[in-house]
Amino acid sequence: MKYVQYLNELINKRISATEQLVIFGQNIAAGSCLSGLTRGLKIRKGGLIINTPNSENTLVGLGFGMMFGGVSSVFFMKQQDFLLLGIDQLVDTYNFIRRKDPKASFTIVFIIVDDGYSGLQSSLNNFGDFCSMARIPGFTITNKLDAKEIINTNIVSPGFRIIGVSQRLFNTELQEMNKIYSNDEKTIFQYTEGDGATIACFNLSFPYGLELHNKLKEKNIESSLFSVNALTPVIWDKIIENAKKTKNLVIIDDSKSENLSCDNLAACALEQCALDNKIVIRRKFLSNDWLFPNADQLSIDYSGIINKLSRAIKK
Amino acid sequence: MEYKSNINIAKEVLRLRHSQMIVNEKYKSGLFKVPIHLALGHEAIAVAVDSVMEANDKLVCSHRNIHYNLARAKVLKPILDEYLLKKEGLAGAELGSMNLANASKNIIYTSSILGNNLPVAAGLALAEKVKGGGVVMVETGDGAIEEGSFYESMLFMKSHALPVLVIVENNGWSLATEISERRAEINLSKFAESLGAGFEKLSGNDVYKYIERMKELRERALKDSSPVVIEVMFETLGGWYVEKDDKTGERYINYHSGPSPKIEIKELPEIAHSASDPVFVLREYFKEDILGSIAKEILKTVKEEINEA
Repeated sequence: MKYVQYLNELINKRISATEQLVIFGQNIAAGSCLSGLTRGLKIRKGGLIINTPNSENTLVGLGFGMMFGGVSSVFFMKQQDFLLLGIDQLVDTYNFIRRKDPKASFTIVFIIVDDGYSGLQSSLNNFGDFCSMARIPGFTITNKLDAKEIINTNIVSPGFRIIGVSQRLFNTELQEMNKIYSNDEKTIFQYTEGDGATIACFNLSFPYGLELHNKLKEKNIESSLFSVNALTPVIWDKIIENAKKTKNLVIIDDSKSENLSCDNLAACALEQCALDNKIVIRRKFLSNDWLFPNADQLSIDYSGIINKLSRAIKK
Repeated sequence: MEYKSNINIAKEVLRLRHSQMIVNEKYKSGLFKVPIHLALGHEAIAVAVDSVMEANDKLVCSHRNIHYNLARAKVLKPILDEYLLKKEGLAGAELGSMNLANASKNIIYTSSILGNNLPVAAGLALAEKVKGGGVVMVETGDGAIEEGSFYESMLFMKSHALPVLVIVENNGWSLATEISERRAEINLSKFAESLGAGFEKLSGNDVYKYIERMKELRERALKDSSPVVIEVMFETLGGWYVEKDDKTGERYINYHSGPSPKIEIKELPEIAHSASDPVFVLREYFKEDILGSIAKEILKTVKEEINEA
């Protein structure tokens, strides 16, 4: 099943099971329904589905206003970039309402336009930057397993959070993943356990990490694969303990920010682990290329990484 | 009109004025660390809003909210304690002045950011519609209507038939610039008309007339299921004159926030002898000696409440 289709099913199931829920956003029940993300949403009695005007600042405030009034809502947004218009609400209003542990839920689900060639606005695909403004709980969705756990736990739950989904992954087939571990907050997931390398994926880079894991496996190198689905602070103990065993740490972060969540793990590993290999795969901005329409995919030299890890393991 | 004979309304105007003057005195002596925006001259609309609010109605305020908080709380001490960041303050020292709300008295949210509270009021009104509730009243100003959120929120309120009273306190100033110095005139009547929303302009600071009109406007918002813009004309009192740098005369300093240096506590707390002062306007209903004696009693009561009698 494709990523967007699975998300749509999960969302619809959760929403149709919730009473007095308001679903709103631009074109959420019209046209392509956000490329299928919100197609066919059904609400229970007492709820509303609203195709809204193009007023993002007000729409973010609207959700908080409903929280004050004890009504839960989900705001679906076509692009994460549009959330720039609602930043004041994310900071000022959220900081006011969070003080009293609100009973109602407000979730903003947006599409991170990370498939490239979208021009100037696409420089902002970094989910963590939004989260860090007011320490907003946030979750990125990268595969079938984290989708299920994050949507079921968080899309309607007391409090506020943002959930980012990847446009790049929309039409990709989802792989079945088994879970070895996830924390209660659903911010860190472990999918495989191996003694050859520790792979930690940030933002929406899980598919790259999975590809590396599979390529290593072909070379008979078993790796531990983690995905960090939220901004820091995250308690890194699971990853650090694993890296201490494998002595090979690969960090992948496809964010565009100058302040990466992965830096926090890297600093922690530097302090606590004696490693044979520390490989950090991140974007390199050497010119103004990031300003212009470009491919968004990370360029990863898998063979180089595998050779490096193989040499270390043989020693 | 039932309110005309109700002396308690006049007492409320006087209580709000005396309370603010006490806050001002403490401000002058440097007691507060948080910035406070006094609302001297704004008392009539605050008392009117408080008078017409029904049990299910909700109020959303802006950074200049002391008048509404005083009107709803009915006491000064917890507000004063909040300004002093004491744990026994109205919000446990969490909100200070510019965000001070009081959910127990239906002041649900207060924002320090211009225009921020309007979308929240729209959401609150939508929640009231979903659950079945009352009218939402939101206080804003002539500066905040310059923000895009004013237009966006009005559009949403009208599009979804939300009964909201949007109270635009128009004192003609945004900090140190007058409207004519910073923008073209906004014709709120035509703006409201363009969306099919209601509009009413209030001026004159007559608390009894304001109550009468606000009651009608509240009913109109409910009957029409529509927002109503209420532009309330003010002079924020407490401004003063200073000598110009080139010594060629004086220039006016508009009161925006902080202490007002020229305002002193007095038993009859009039600041201006004109319709710009809601206390002065009470003379239309009460002789000066009666007003003076009521005011003196109110001052005594407020001081007793804060243990300064």
